[in-house]
Parts: sequence; structure tokens; C-alpha cells
Amino acid sequence: MTGKSAIKTKNLNKYYGKLKALDNINLEIPQGRIIGLLGKNGAGKSTLMRCILGFLKHEGEIEILGKQIKRHKESTHQDIAFIPDVNSLDDRLTVRQTIDYVSALNISWNHEKAHTLLAASDLDPKQKVGNLSKGMKTKLYLLITLSLDVKILLLDEPTLGLDIVFRKEFFNMILGEYYDETKTIIISTHQVEEVEQILQDIIFIDKGKIILQEEIEKLKAKYSIYTVPAEKRAKLEEHKPRIINKTLGQTNAVLKSDISIESAQVVRPTLSDLFLEMVGGSSE
Amino acid sequence: MNKFTALLRKDIQISKNQLMIPLWIVAGFYLVILLISAISYFTGSFNLNLGNIQGSPSSDFLNYILNMALMGLPGMISLIFIIILTQSALNENIRNHSELFHRSQPVSIWYQSASKYLVGIAGNWVILSLIALFNFIVFAFIIASVDRFVISMAFLGTIQSLISFMKIGLIVGSLSFFVSAVFKDKAFLQGLAIIVGIQFLLIIINVIMQWHLPLPLSYLIKLINNSTPVGMKTILTNESLNIFIKETWMRILFNWKTLIQIAVSGLLFVVATIIYKNREIK
Repeated sequence: MTGKSAIKTKNLNKYYGKLKALDNINLEIPQGRIIGLLGKNGAGKSTLMRCILGFLKHEGEIEILGKQIKRHKESTHQDIAFIPDVNSLDDRLTVRQTIDYVSALNISWNHEKAHTLLAASDLDPKQKVGNLSKGMKTKLYLLITLSLDVKILLLDEPTLGLDIVFRKEFFNMILGEYYDETKTIIISTHQVEEVEQILQDIIFIDKGKIILQEEIEKLKAKYSIYTVPAEKRAKLEEHKPRIINKTLGQTNAVLKSDISIESAQVVRPTLSDLFLEMVGGSSE
Repeated sequence: MNKFTALLRKDIQISKNQLMIPLWIVAGFYLVILLISAISYFTGSFNLNLGNIQGSPSSDFLNYILNMALMGLPGMISLIFIIILTQSALNENIRNHSELFHRSQPVSIWYQSASKYLVGIAGNWVILSLIALFNFIVFAFIIASVDRFVISMAFLGTIQSLISFMKIGLIVGSLSFFVSAVFKDKAFLQGLAIIVGIQFLLIIINVIMQWHLPLPLSYLIKLINNSTPVGMKTILTNESLNIFIKETWMRILFNWKTLIQIAVSGLLFVVATIIYKNREIK
């Protein structure tokens, strides 16, 4: 990976009482990439994002665009926009009040873009945020975020609880309206299939540890799905895969691409396959 | 629009309904009084006589003391709403699940805190002042119809009462604002319970050990308390009324205690903001 780092962490640890929520995280996230932070529920994705933003006290070092973050600083948010669960919008404000509030606080606010996005949406400016459906709240959050000219976008399980139509629309808008090669997007999710098509790099996190950081294409080239008849299961087991799947008289497993198994069908794995192989358990 | 103005506007928009409640309560009282007066008037039993107070008070006295007294109820209501608003100032976003949204804005925590503090305390002051103005106007018409309206005395009665309540509101509101940084729910009651608990503990220690440790609740009451009641009969003449007014100014505003009250309020705001700033957002 080349280019200046958007985010860098060194020996990052976070404890909740005796529980180690983040375990010696060393990351270097380059600028201009779309990165997926994937892990099961409770793997440490949200904790990592909140530590990066300085919302949580932590041990170790964090740098955002070369600036050290020791604790929460409002100036951090001039470079980073953060979308947690869309329910974090303030229900007591109206759509118009929310837009006016955010636009007044952010010098990077693009009024023209906000106006265009609002006109294109079916959001009623007089409606209270609390009365909006989850899908409409997502639209409002997107409108706010996409109207900000920031260098890094952190999305923490942004589509949780949304139906498939809104989830697609969400990611399409992020790609279409926000992303260019100078901007970095980090998407945390446990819904791996959802983001596969838009990600360039992947970070797998499990039990507070980073278990993999890799470009998706390179990762997919490294592994393959080997499918053999059920009676030849032993041939797969020789290579000690974490999971062996059964399908209609056949068995398959994700293995390194450089091995050879006689009469096996070999196909490229999906991100879900790789996630399951490396992290194990359900990817939901 | 600068950032602080935007924060103030947002906090007013959020608290607008609660801020207006004292106004509606007072309006309700006026409506009830108006209805009763109308019924009495039409049934022929309406009789407003302010001249029967023992000792035949002067018009100056009536204008001063009635305007002062008129602020009693709105003042108490205002204090209650200052507590209600400030006790949720720094914790309501957490309960409302919008803490991350607000804290993700590029604006100083001190600005955010100051805006909530101002809306909670000064917002209620503004409403109380509007009620005072309304009372003043209504009273002017009533007193003019039965006695003589003395604008200077009526104004002094209103303004001194208003300032007294504003000062109590400042201390009580600052204390309530402080506990909002410590507790997430029913902050004022929880804070009060702790102070009362400490009070009892210290009383027990003082009794057992024969010590004289200062008691927090007693100190708080002393800090909040503005005035010592003065017998009505002593201020019935205009001369003694003027002395009483001057003394009241000294008692409610121009003294060291006022400076201490302002300093304690400021300190409570600063400590609350530091706690808020350093709190983890999970």
C-alpha cells in the first residue's frame, strides 16, 4: 500500500474493566481507499472507531492525517465525518433544523450540494426527525454527510436495520456522491455480502485483534474454493481448512490457491467465504 | 452565523416547549382569576379593596409590595423549570441516543456546554422577565383603578423580586447543571440525595466525635438564601420604605455574597464541563 496514511494506530489497546476490547492494534490505512472493517458482533469494530475519534480513552498511539489524537478534539471532525447508527440523529429537531445546525458548525459545508440533495430527496424539511422512518433518517444522515467536504468518512454499521433497497441506495450514494481518489472511506459492518462490491481493502477484526489487512483482489487471488465429491472429503481435510461445507453430494472448503487437488473444481471465493474461513462462526 | 449562535439556536429549539411552560401556567392563573372576577362582577359580588390593609399603607408601599409579591408564584415556577432543564443539560443527549451525533460536530465542548447552561438558566430568566413585564402592566391597570399607580415603586418591587429569583435560579441551576454531568437520569434528585446523605453522615460524626464539621446542606441553603424577612409594619411609611428598598438592594445584589454566588456558579459550570469533556462516549 502506498501514499500518506489517513489513519495510523500503534500498539492500540482498550480495556473495559478487565475485558480487553482492543488488543495491540497496529494499523496503517492509506488515503484514497474504501476499506471494510469486518468482524462479528462484539469483535471490536465500534470500539476501534470510537478510539480513533478519541471518544474512548485508550492506550497506544493514533494518528489521523499525520496528527496525533490523544483524546477527543473537536478539530478532528473538520477532517472526518462519522456516521454511526442512523438513530443517533437528534429526534427533537426537524429536518430543516438539523441541516441548519450542521451547516452552521461545519466550515466545509457545501450549501449547493445540500440543496440539490434535499431537493432530490422526499424529505419534508418541517418533519421532526423522530417521526421519520429509519430509511428516511438514513437519507437525512447521508445528505448531511455528503454535503461535508471531509477527507475521511467513518461508517459504523450504517445500514443496520435497513431493508435491502435502502442499503443499496445508501452505498450507491456514498460511492456516487462522495467518493473520489482523495477520500478515504472506512465501513464497519458484520454484513459482509453487503459491502463486497464496493470495497478495495479489507480488515478482519476478531476478539479485539486485527487478523488480516489486505487488498481484496490480492486476498481473493491467494485463496480459492475447492469443491470435491463428498467421498473425497479427506483430500480437503489434509489441508486443514477451518470450515468444510457440504452441498448436494459435494464438499468444499477455502484453501490457499497454490495447492493442487486432483479432480477438484476451483472457483474464486467471495468475501463471505474468506471471512468465514479466517474468522470462523457466523458472518450473519 | 457563528458556531455559538448555531448551538444556542439548536438548544432553544430543543427546549422551547419546556421553556414556555411557566408562561402557560401563569397565563392559566390569569385566566382563572379573570373568570372568577367576571363571574363575581356579573353576580354583583365583585369588590376589590386594597385600602383595608391594617395600618393604612401608602400608595408607594402598595405599589412596591404588591408587585414584589406578584412575582412569588412565577418565581417559584421558574425555579422548578430551571432545575428541570439544567438537570438534563449534559445527559439528555445520552438518553436520547444523539450524543455521538452532537459530539461529532467540529465545535468546542465549552461552547456546547455554555449553550446548554445559558438556555437552561438565562432562558428561564427571559421567560420570567416576560412574566414580570406582563404582571407589571396588568398590575398598573388594576392599581390605577382602585388607588394610585406609582411607576417607580411598582418597578422597584418587580425588579427586586425578579433579581432575587434570578440569583436563586443561578445557584440552583448551576448545581443542577453540575449534577447533570455526573448522573444520567433524575440528576437533581440523585445529587440532592447524596448531599442529604453526606449531611446526615456529618451530623452523626459531629455528634459522636464532638466535632464541628461544616454541613453541606446548611451551606447550600445559606448560599441560596437572599434575604431576611422584615416586619411589614416597619416599612409602612414612605421614609422607612425607601430605607427598606435600599437595604434590599444591598441584600440581594450589592454584597460579597453575590460575588461568592456568581463564583460558585461559574465554578460549578467549569467543573461540570470538564467532567462532560472527559466522559467516554460509548
